[in-house]
Amino acid sequence: MTSPTIAPERIDVPIGEDETERDRPWLVVVHNDPINLMSYVTYVFQKVFGYPKEKAHKLMLIVHNEGKAIVSSGPREKSESDCFRLHSYGLWATLTRDA
Amino acid sequence: MPEFLTAADGAHLRLDATEARLLIQLTSEFKTMLSGGRLDRGDPIYDRLFPSAYEKPEDETAYRELTGDDLSKHKLEALDVVVGALGKKGADVTLEGEDFDAWLQILTDLRLAIGTSLDVDEDRMGAEVDPHDPDAAALQILHWLGWVQEGLIEARGNLLP
Repeated sequence: MTSPTIAPERIDVPIGEDETERDRPWLVVVHNDPINLMSYVTYVFQKVFGYPKEKAHKLMLIVHNEGKAIVSSGPREKSESDCFRLHSYGLWATLTRDA
Repeated sequence: MPEFLTAADGAHLRLDATEARLLIQLTSEFKTMLSGGRLDRGDPIYDRLFPSAYEKPEDETAYRELTGDDLSKHKLEALDVVVGALGKKGADVTLEGEDFDAWLQILTDLRLAIGTSLDVDEDRMGAEVDPHDPDAAALQILHWLGWVQEGLIEARGNLLP
């Protein structure tokens, strides 16, 4: 791991997109499905997000009982990467913008 | 019966010849399905294995352009890990780190493919398999794969918090 030694160049905000619009996070949502096992979904949340077992288990139960749960949020690029990893584990994940 | 033993960062798995043969057959069919171009968007199995990330078509198109065939490649690599551990006499293998996850992912993909083709719901998944059900054999395989997966997860070394 290294740290940048030169400050990145200033990025101009595109017209029509202000500071708050860009900062509005993307949400990663996992949907319930009848096939994946509860123990497996808990394991995936631990593995992908590094959540402790208790938090991963609670999230899994929200998905199971309420049909879906927000499992992470952040900038678009990070959320897309989270979503891809969840897809690689066979979880039904989608991305949506925070209201 | 599969045997599960705890390993440092995963689990040790033993399968007998019949179990290994079943997995060889399933993984071979799965590989043909993934690499043979038989799956396409709109096919329920494809849509479940390669789900849309976005609701808005323009966002989804951009996401697919970004990820390309990375997910398909990932699945094929994981498949190679599983196939590499299977022999005609069975399997006797320590699964740690990425290999452990490759097994869990392929067991999941096989279950998703079978479960989606049977269009199962939670009631059917939770019920005993009726031997007169025309899908009984496929349902038994689906449950067996889940049982192997659960065994691996329960046996795994407790390195995760």
